[in-house]
Amino acid sequence: MVRLSDLPDFEARHLLAKNGALPGPMPWVADTRPASERRFVIITTAGIHPAGSAPFASNDASYRVLPGDAAADGFAMSHASVNFDRSGFQRDVNVVFPVDRFRELEESGQIAGLASRHYSFMGAGLLPEAYEDTVTSLAGILKQDRVDTAFLTPV
Amino acid sequence: MSAIAWYLERAGIATTGISLVRENTESFGPPRFLWVSFPLGRPLGTPGDAGFQHRVIASALSLLERRDGPVLEDFPEDAAGPAPDAGELVCPVSFAPQARDDAGGWAERLAGEARSLAPWYDAARETRAGRTSVGILVDSPVDLAREAGAALDSGNGLPRARCKHVLEDLKAYYLEAMLAQPGADAETLGRWLWLETVLGDAMLELRKTMLVGAEGQTALFAESLVPRWVLDLRAGDESSEDRSN
Repeated sequence: MVRLSDLPDFEARHLLAKNGALPGPMPWVADTRPASERRFVIITTAGIHPAGSAPFASNDASYRVLPGDAAADGFAMSHASVNFDRSGFQRDVNVVFPVDRFRELEESGQIAGLASRHYSFMGAGLLPEAYEDTVTSLAGILKQDRVDTAFLTPV
Repeated sequence: MSAIAWYLERAGIATTGISLVRENTESFGPPRFLWVSFPLGRPLGTPGDAGFQHRVIASALSLLERRDGPVLEDFPEDAAGPAPDAGELVCPVSFAPQARDDAGGWAERLAGEARSLAPWYDAARETRAGRTSVGILVDSPVDLAREAGAALDSGNGLPRARCKHVLEDLKAYYLEAMLAQPGADAETLGRWLWLETVLGDAMLELRKTMLVGAEGQTALFAESLVPRWVLDLRAGDESSEDRSN
């Protein structure tokens, strides 16, 4: 349970040290359409990538492409942190990257579509500004892929 | 995660997603997140439970219909806990009695331990239709184990990135081998890996070796090799020993 009151003091202190602020007033896309009318991309900060592709380095704000049609046959995780459970991911990639669930939603018409590619960052230790260039550039790529909504998962 | 939401939203892509640490998300105030009470590393909660994962996703997707924000809503369910027998992990491998002794070098002992896990790694992989998370590097786990051990034996260490990737692949290999036992929960697996294997000893030793005289990024890297709970536990053990001496 990640209720800070349930964690040892040293762990709670570490997590609270990650509190911060964003670069300015909160942007807000005023679009209240239901999921069934949206095309989604999944973006995880779990530091995963296709096995054999370039692993993440420490302090790395870049992203890796997760092919939209990739079978569940080999994502590796090179996240810098050792302070979270990896066994859930090893049992079922959907616990950090729920691509099978979103494919099911697409098949049943509960979402309008899925991106042709998904993306993984490694969320660890960088200030928000470090992501500005890569995420802004990624947003352009997403629009070319007709994506209007991102589903974000941490680790 | 909050920063990615902020920049995407600024560029016109709507976002929703999962928060694992409510206090962190609150501090950033991103547009829409669903806080879940699951362990770090498991934002969708329960591996292999599609129904549960769909309930989490549906809750997060419903936030897209809100007219204003920021929205940080709590998911009402907890993830399933460990099975009743989950604390009784039995290592399927009979490590040689001397495996964790100092007899023989680190390279020999680590390679031997990695080799002994191979049948269980293969069995576990078969149950997951061939899927594995081992594969950051192309080398075999036994070769990686020998490489990590040789770095300790020689005292030369490994370059930071190589060290990280060797250890990540080895940890994935060890944990996947133990996943052949379906009841093994995350805490039990972690305690086994860090407290009962030569690899756990080797990672602690690597950290200690790399910290000697280290500064800056090298010191930070060495510190990051071992989870905080292991260091906390070891610190507790050492102070108990001090008190008894």
